[in-house]
This record gives sequence, structure tokens and C-alpha cells, in this order.
Amino acid sequence: MNSRRLGGLTVAFFSAGLTLGAGLAAAQPDDYSALIIDPNVVTDSQAYTAGPPTMNPGGQPGATKVFTHRDGGRTITDTVWVLSDPAAASSALNQAQSTAAIGNQKLTSAAVGSGGQLITGTSSDGTQSVSMLYFTEGNAASAIEFAGPAGDPVPSDLVIEMGQKQDALIKSQLGA
Amino acid sequence: MRRIVMGLAAAGVIAGSLTGVQTANAAQPSMPTPSMPHNSPPIITALDCYGTTGDHGCGPGFFWRDGWRGWACYPC
Repeated sequence: MNSRRLGGLTVAFFSAGLTLGAGLAAAQPDDYSALIIDPNVVTDSQAYTAGPPTMNPGGQPGATKVFTHRDGGRTITDTVWVLSDPAAASSALNQAQSTAAIGNQKLTSAAVGSGGQLITGTSSDGTQSVSMLYFTEGNAASAIEFAGPAGDPVPSDLVIEMGQKQDALIKSQLGA
Repeated sequence: MRRIVMGLAAAGVIAGSLTGVQTANAAQPSMPTPSMPHNSPPIITALDCYGTTGDHGCGPGFFWRDGWRGWACYPC
């Protein structure tokens, strides 16, 4: 076996290894869209239509889905991040909370997950009502935005109910 | 003979106590029946947003529309 043949074998094995590695990587369960709760579980069951999921929102592992009401005037944007530990989850949530542009903010605690907080207000231009629910559950963090008509903000009981459903889904999927 | 007497006495005691209970219960005052005012006008509560008695079973102060929860009763 000369050096050229040995080199060819090495390349072949290296190539095979790369192919196998790529296959394993593709099979990794980094699709977190299954962690997103469908808001229709708390509605008349067909009020909202889901958009395609966005993976790793904000560069963090997780998923986002936008649900649009059939009237076209209301949206629910649900984001779940899955971090390395609870501290990282809290940090990611604080970062998301600090960048949220909500006018006339009112902050209240919410009985959802760990450290649940509900911020209600308006969009920056004042044309829409906006409510944001933030909470963590183990190493997962969740932010749910409800945007709708300025004169018809989302009821707080709906926000809490959906948040609790989202929390339960995270627990069941991640065992958090 | 003594056993028969004791048996009759025991039966008498039990029967007496049961009779007493019934009498006691019968003596309990019953709750007074609320009386309805005669010839009073019907009580009318608030109407729904459209001035009717409500659609889809929505109560007073609520109306049926497609809102955050989809089609449901919402406050006016």
C-alpha cells in the first residue's frame, strides 16, 4: 500500500465520516415548533390560523409562531426558547423584555410558570393594543404577544389561560 | 321468663326512643316559605348591547361577536 492509496482511503473515510455526521446532525431534534401552544385551545377552536414557524428567534434556540385571527385584526405571537439552564432562560427573557416596544406600559405579575409578568399597553404608534406575557419554566423561556385593535385589548383572563396552557405544554414536552 | 321480660323491656326502650325522635323531628320548626308579593310588576334586568334579551344565550351586558376568543359572548 503506497502513500497515494493510503491518502485515498483516508479521504474516503473522512468523506464517509462527514456524510454520516451530517446525517446525525440533521436528525437532531432542534425543531422546537412543537413547543408552541395553539391559541385555538382557548377559543372557539378555529379563530386563529398559524403561520410558518421561525426557528431560533433572536439567535437563541427555540421557535416562534404567529397566529392570525380570521378577522385579520388580531395576532398572537408565541415564542419559546430552550436554553441551557434556568438562569440562561431568565436572562433571555429579560433581554426580550427590555427590547419590547410597548407604550403606556402597565406591569402586573401573572400566575403563569415562574416569574410570570404581564405587560399591557399600546404599540409605539398607539394604533394597536399590545399585551406581552413573559415567564420561564425550567430552562425554557416564553414570550407571548397579543396585538389587536386599540379599543379592544385582549382580556387578561385569556392571556393567563393561554399562558398556563403554554406552560403545561413546555412541562409535558421538556419535563421541566 | 326473666329473658322474656328483659327482651320486652329492651324493645320498649328502643321503640320509645324512635317515637321520641319522630316526635322531636315533627316538632322542629320548618323554614318559612318566602312569600311572593302579589300583583308586583315583573323584575326587569339590564338589556344587552342591542336592547334585546341577548343573542346565543348571552346575558345582560354581553353580546355575541367574533373577538379574541372567536365567536363568544363579550361584555358591551
